[in-house]
Amino acid sequence: MSIQPIEVPKWGLTMEEGTLSRWLVEEGQSFSKGDELCEIETSKIANALEASFDGVLRRIVVQPGVTLPVGALLAVAAPTTVDDTAIDAWLAARQGAAAAVAGTVAPVTTAPVAAAQPEPEPVVSAPQQTSQAPIDSVPAALRGATPDDMPATVHALRLAQREGIDLSRIAGSGRDGRVSVADIARAVQAAGGQLSPGNPSQTVQRGDDSAVLATPIARRLAREHAVDLRDCRATGSRGRVCRADVQAVLAGRNQRIAGEQGDTMPDLQQGCTQQSMSAMRRTIAARLQASKQDAPHYRVCMDMDLEAMLALKNTLNQATAELKLSVNDLMIKATAHALIRVPQLNAQYDPQRQVVTLFADADIAVAVSIDGGLITPIIPAANRKSLAEISGMMRDLATRAQAGTLKASEFQGGSFSISNLGMYGVSQFDAIINPPQVAILALGAAEQRAVVRDGELCVRRQMTASLSSDHRVVDGALAATFLRELKRLVETPALLMV
Amino acid sequence: MQGTYDVAVVGAGPGGYVAALRAAQLGLRTLLVEKDSLGGICLNWGCIPTKAMLKGAEVLHTCREASRYGVQLQGLSFDIAALVRHSRQVSGTLVQGVAYLLKKQGVTVLSGTARMVNKGQLEVDCDGSLQQVRARHIVLATGARARALPGVAFGTPGIWSYREALQPDTLPQSLVIAGSGAIGAEFASLYSDLGVQVTLLERATRIMPLEDADVSQYMRTQFEARDIQVHTGVSLEQAAPVTAGVECQLLHEDGKRQRITAERLLLAAGVTPNVEGLGLEQLGVTMAGGFVAVDQWCRTNVAGLYAIGDLAGGPCLAHKASHQAVVCIERLAGVEQVEPLDHSLIPSCVYSRPQVASVGLTEQQARLQGLPVRIGRFNLQANGKALASGDASGFVKTVVAADTGEILGAHLVGHEVTEQIHLLALAQQLEAGDEDLARTIFAHPTLSEAIHESMLHALGRPLHQ
Repeated sequence: MSIQPIEVPKWGLTMEEGTLSRWLVEEGQSFSKGDELCEIETSKIANALEASFDGVLRRIVVQPGVTLPVGALLAVAAPTTVDDTAIDAWLAARQGAAAAVAGTVAPVTTAPVAAAQPEPEPVVSAPQQTSQAPIDSVPAALRGATPDDMPATVHALRLAQREGIDLSRIAGSGRDGRVSVADIARAVQAAGGQLSPGNPSQTVQRGDDSAVLATPIARRLAREHAVDLRDCRATGSRGRVCRADVQAVLAGRNQRIAGEQGDTMPDLQQGCTQQSMSAMRRTIAARLQASKQDAPHYRVCMDMDLEAMLALKNTLNQATAELKLSVNDLMIKATAHALIRVPQLNAQYDPQRQVVTLFADADIAVAVSIDGGLITPIIPAANRKSLAEISGMMRDLATRAQAGTLKASEFQGGSFSISNLGMYGVSQFDAIINPPQVAILALGAAEQRAVVRDGELCVRRQMTASLSSDHRVVDGALAATFLRELKRLVETPALLMV
Repeated sequence: MQGTYDVAVVGAGPGGYVAALRAAQLGLRTLLVEKDSLGGICLNWGCIPTKAMLKGAEVLHTCREASRYGVQLQGLSFDIAALVRHSRQVSGTLVQGVAYLLKKQGVTVLSGTARMVNKGQLEVDCDGSLQQVRARHIVLATGARARALPGVAFGTPGIWSYREALQPDTLPQSLVIAGSGAIGAEFASLYSDLGVQVTLLERATRIMPLEDADVSQYMRTQFEARDIQVHTGVSLEQAAPVTAGVECQLLHEDGKRQRITAERLLLAAGVTPNVEGLGLEQLGVTMAGGFVAVDQWCRTNVAGLYAIGDLAGGPCLAHKASHQAVVCIERLAGVEQVEPLDHSLIPSCVYSRPQVASVGLTEQQARLQGLPVRIGRFNLQANGKALASGDASGFVKTVVAADTGEILGAHLVGHEVTEQIHLLALAQQLEAGDEDLARTIFAHPTLSEAIHESMLHALGRPLHQ
């Protein structure tokens, strides 16, 4: 019988923080080991946090949208036999302890309830992550708006504004009765409230804090640790937030870092190496395995003549320095147009709700190979974009995919996918559908082939396109219709201008 | 896929190799092509070897002055061959260092001459074998070379570029230097200290014409005191080899012609970008005044093509090229908060004796822009450290915005001022004003105190003058 923390996991070496995107389990609901508890998004990946034990989710501490460092407390689990006050006490103790060990690396421990029994010290600089935790409270007697002509220091005015304090209700100790920050703190305490310097009154949440005056160091420190400068007291010269102000906020934040759960590897035969799966690989593995198991895949292939498209590509590239079109860019455009004409393929399928969503625009996900895996950045509304836009965007997305600087919104979603292995000299291949999409197009190389045209044998540059479709949603005739439409556009690319 | 990269960089000078390092560091598959030595002109024939030579000149000068400190040196002699050896050795060491860094970051290095055959496609001639390379982004960083003058061609006996001036077999009796910018001024100082009779020619009305007028004036006095002949407002019309060396025909501003003869003539009249043979014309690359035209992110008008460093326009400085390299790569890799190069924040350093270092606007530039300015000055004659070191030549001049206290420009002359300029560059970058610098504690005794005093002077409260 114990209370256990649920914390921001560390997925991969470079992960420092994660944003909670949604809870998959509700307060009071029980879960088993392996169940998905919540979804967390990092700069590189969005993934579900799996439970490492059986339990009951008793208290959700963090709401979706909040960004937190690795090891930060997300929720509390405990058997139903543990009462709420024990959980409150545990939370207070945890936050007190966190403040004490701030900056040190503490292993994840399961704190037994007994350890939380001694009443914790009043928490001075605890993070405000939960409504149950002790928070700064301004007594009603002091609340209100400060009159304009009230003599007070700049810092005092700012603090008063932030906390909703009427400074005219506080006696100032400074020159000409000016109210200082210290005066406010004293008055609040005297009235039975609490206000501690450096204590943010809001949950740590990223926002536009660019208007806050801050030193370059403070700004950088704040950015790295996802501290909102608006939560910092400005004590620096010329009213700027300085390093110490950001550090004061940080000191109050839970800094526990879950130690890497170092898996012990079995002894290896000489010459062999083992690699643990990266977060990206694990995501790829899980998603594609599920897709292949759940969706009944079938393929339809079609050869397409590329002569006209290649001629168009060369004409445009030669005529315009600003343009560097690839076959892939043109195929994205043609596919987008074909999808608008055959909208049943421009869709997402939700098997739980038994609903297929058809999209008005073709948001085309394009598989890009990067070191250690692949990622599918999206060209949104490719049907409405010019070739120049698609080409420029694709170059940018592919480069940033490799550099790892894509934003989650740039590779999540999509209504259809394209995978192109043509540059490797592959003639034809089959791709696995990227759920919840219902089909994926696999493109081979543009290669010279001996073909018969009008009864004559001739050499033409051709490409084989293979469409993998989910038979639960897309029937063969529909897949064929799409390919026929794509072929028409590819072989008469002037249609892309219509 | 062999021969396919995210980024291919052409030219391994301080622009190109830094671009390659940063790209590889960001995880991009990176190729660097160089036809000569890694490190480019900077490491091999510019910044670095000249500093090694100048150090030799400084040591010689110090030895000549040694008796002032009670050190008696007899039979002092100087061997130019040994100094050249030292200079070449330093370059060699640094080139190896660059090779190591590139390897460490995983940059593929190709030794050959690159030409663009199409957008995103390079053909690299590696000793006759042609290699095809594809890259999403191609960064051109081919630099620049010494500019020839009409009527004065390189290759003529007795006519040097910096390359020959860095490895003379023997010291000439006399040397004429055409151009008094950083390169001309450094070589004038170097060869003068080595005992060569130097004549310095400048077409503009003052030497080091890009510096503040006070700097030009001061340096002219310094040079002339060392028996360097200085001619301003004069252009070199012709130069021809004669028995005694090179005969130069000069045209003065007032139309008068003059002939002077020296054993050697060094052309230091600016540089010209290496644009030839790259395939720029065929791709329709837009040019600007002989340089490749680029936007604030170093993009050319051609899709996926970038230019950095000297090739993309002045100032032709190694640190400007390196900075552009980082800006260009970070921008294309999607690094957040990249800021374009601010030309007003590029420091400039001349390693003559005394040294010259500057950043930002000259007084004249500031006044021409109509900015209200306050000028702060301090002479090193009143600086304890400078006097103790026996070299008190030089001064500090600061141009401060009268209203905001912003440091608009700083102009330093003196011993090791090239190391001190960064404090002012930093102040500009962080928008620290005169009051901030005045509040900063400067250690005593240091040459940098002169900067502090100059700030106080600009604020109207100098303490030591």
